[in-house]
Amino acid sequence: MFSFDPYAPAVDANPFPFYKTLRDEHPCFWSPEADMWILSRYADIVSAGQDAQTYSSASGNLMTELPGRAGATLGTTDAPRHDRLRGLIQHAFMKRNLESLSEPIRDIAREVAESLRGKKQFDFINEFSSKFTVRVLFAALGLPTGAEATVPESTVRDKAVMMVQSDPVSRTKGPEHIAAYNWMQDYAAGVIAERRANPRNDLISHFSMAEIDGDKLDEREVLLTTTTLIMAGIESMGGFMAMFALNMADFADARRQCVVNPALLADAVEESLRFNTSAQRFRRRLMKDVTLHGQTMKTGDFVCLAYGSGNRDERQYPNPDAYDITRKPRGHLGFGGGVHACLGTAIARLSVKIAFEEFHKVIPEYKRVQEQLPWMPSSTFRSPLVLELAVA
Amino acid sequence: MQGATANGVDGILGECGGSCACATCHCYVDEARLADLNAPTDNELAMLDNVAAERRPGSRLACQIKTSAALEGLIIHLPEMQE
Repeated sequence: MFSFDPYAPAVDANPFPFYKTLRDEHPCFWSPEADMWILSRYADIVSAGQDAQTYSSASGNLMTELPGRAGATLGTTDAPRHDRLRGLIQHAFMKRNLESLSEPIRDIAREVAESLRGKKQFDFINEFSSKFTVRVLFAALGLPTGAEATVPESTVRDKAVMMVQSDPVSRTKGPEHIAAYNWMQDYAAGVIAERRANPRNDLISHFSMAEIDGDKLDEREVLLTTTTLIMAGIESMGGFMAMFALNMADFADARRQCVVNPALLADAVEESLRFNTSAQRFRRRLMKDVTLHGQTMKTGDFVCLAYGSGNRDERQYPNPDAYDITRKPRGHLGFGGGVHACLGTAIARLSVKIAFEEFHKVIPEYKRVQEQLPWMPSSTFRSPLVLELAVA
Repeated sequence: MQGATANGVDGILGECGGSCACATCHCYVDEARLADLNAPTDNELAMLDNVAAERRPGSRLACQIKTSAALEGLIIHLPEMQE
């Protein structure tokens, strides 16, 4: 009998065959292992994402939610409060307002890429993407670095990666995951306090000071939003960079085209976001009964929006399992969609493109070493823990 | 916006995925029909300040227009540029 267990190592390693069965045979599927309904078709996921009133985020949006988080971050809040919070901070994440970050991002990319010169083999994650994403995040959020750093960057990175994982056996967050989350909150609280005392022209200062008609983020909202942004900037973006590196390593023709013509990188990034986003599955909670494909989902039930599956639905994208950098996959779900669509969309696109422009200048020819990758055990995200690349 | 991107209509970008955060799904609605649409929120009105092309009384962000029977026969015009 078919089963879909988002905690299973087989799903971490390759969810796509499972998704296909879900889409074709069980488009509205109750998973006892996940304890929720699974929506796998593009159209159903988009409709759910748009209907935030029925598909609520206020009970948590991560497949395995962190304690105390639901209701205190943008992604886990419904309207009207969500719209107010998002309106207070989203201008800082618009493409046109990120222009000043281009140069610092390129400097970081160049420096980290240069450190790879002459290597015959390396772990892309440890030696490139982790360092890159932590530094970019620090630059973007105005987190203290260098002489002002309160902790090593590597520690911040390790905690960010730990807090998004879960225990595949217990199917919950283990003590180490909770501890990492608590550490991250303490760290963020310290930085916020410092910025409140000495505001600067950076994102954290903006959140703490942001005000619209007397309405401000409260202490808990500033803290949890900052914590989420650190998690997103390091883990989500780092995870996606590893997935993009994997695609570039495996699809040599596509990579060579991008090396010869770096202007193609933007399209390759979009195709990778469709093909294998790191943000595979998020959840919602039903505020009323919904009948779909002959199944009645009840009020209070959790529902998984399997973005990674919607992105491979041939009903939306013909020949979906082909990696095609000329596809230009409009409306893909790699950043989610609807009112909660990823706030970091523009910064992620900019950063990943610049990262690979610089990476390919130093390492244009490479391939994967491990036949099987060690996948992160996470019910929400998908990325490898290690990605060894051999330089040609 | 969903209808446009799913059906390959050029001229609407929707870079932020429909979260009213990028102003690249700008469209012009005939003023006579504006009342048939769901009213813009404060967020949408604020974001309309960021459109790349001329902002007009009929300017709306496509991602914020909810389809309904009241939109029957509605014609949308697209601006010359979205960014």
